[in-house]
Amino acid sequence: MQVAGFEALVTLPRRFYEYRMQRSGLIFHLLLALTSALVFYLIYFIFLHTPTAQPESGGFAQKIFYFHVPSAYAMYLSGVVCFAASAAFLVRPTDARNAWAQAGAECAVLFSLLVLTSGPLWAKKAWGVYWTWDPRLTTLLLSALIYAAIVVVRTFVGDGEPERRFVAAIGVLGTVNLPIIHYSVQKWGGNHPTVITGRGGGLRSVEMREALWLGFATMTLLTIMLLWARARSAWLRSRVDSLEERMLDAGLEL
Amino acid sequence: MQKPPDLRTSTSQPEARSSEFVAVEGGQPSTSAEALLVTAYILMWALVLVFVLLTWRRQQTLEARLGQLEKALSDAKQRAPD
Repeated sequence: MQVAGFEALVTLPRRFYEYRMQRSGLIFHLLLALTSALVFYLIYFIFLHTPTAQPESGGFAQKIFYFHVPSAYAMYLSGVVCFAASAAFLVRPTDARNAWAQAGAECAVLFSLLVLTSGPLWAKKAWGVYWTWDPRLTTLLLSALIYAAIVVVRTFVGDGEPERRFVAAIGVLGTVNLPIIHYSVQKWGGNHPTVITGRGGGLRSVEMREALWLGFATMTLLTIMLLWARARSAWLRSRVDSLEERMLDAGLEL
Repeated sequence: MQKPPDLRTSTSQPEARSSEFVAVEGGQPSTSAEALLVTAYILMWALVLVFVLLTWRRQQTLEARLGQLEKALSDAKQRAPD
């Protein structure tokens, strides 16, 4: 009786996780609706209420900023999730931790792609070139490649225990680059603007600041939604694999 | 037999082929801010949309497969002797 009670207690987080994963459809769809509404409102706000910046910063193209910077923040957020889940997986491997680590890396790749597509288009107007080997751009590209490598290894090498441990280690080590990206502008200079700082930043208009905060809120919701969806996919994949293994062991037809 | 026309004196030749570039007052830049902005927004949201669609399709496939496997497993359990 005592052993059964202890076992129930030990498996409680897993059962709660499974319950949450299975029964959270409504919350997920509400989140999806809220995120979509915020995206449309943000686009409306940026184009109709936010003033155009000075020509030296790209003029009208500066409006890319309100999605570009929040995308970079979303990449950091995904990277931190990948780091935390990978570290937790290395301490005690579970399917859930592996699923969150995978979701973090996949979302980090997506958001780094958003930054790397929007940034050069803005740079073409502001700097006259699409790309320059500026410290921030270079370090961000490095992080994008690290997360892309994790996704590639997971997709093409396999999903066994050694592979999971290997990508978890890269997930932990790869995150070291995130603070380097952030402080590269202050430490090594370069072309990249330093508008957002700890001392309040350089956005001189209230609407500009509001658009940026709205962008951060939208990207936070989008990141949570995508991380959730990708973690659920990874967890479903683990369940399918484990059931297929059980059926093969039992000599059942798949 | 008729002789072919002399291309050096032919009137079909362009009168003034560009041999130099001269700046024009008030000329427009080739990459307008509007074009860059619209391209950036289209690319960004297309990427997000593709990612969401791929995730949704993957989940549908996995849920269907999971359902199949769970049904096969429960059928096998029912068939198995006690």
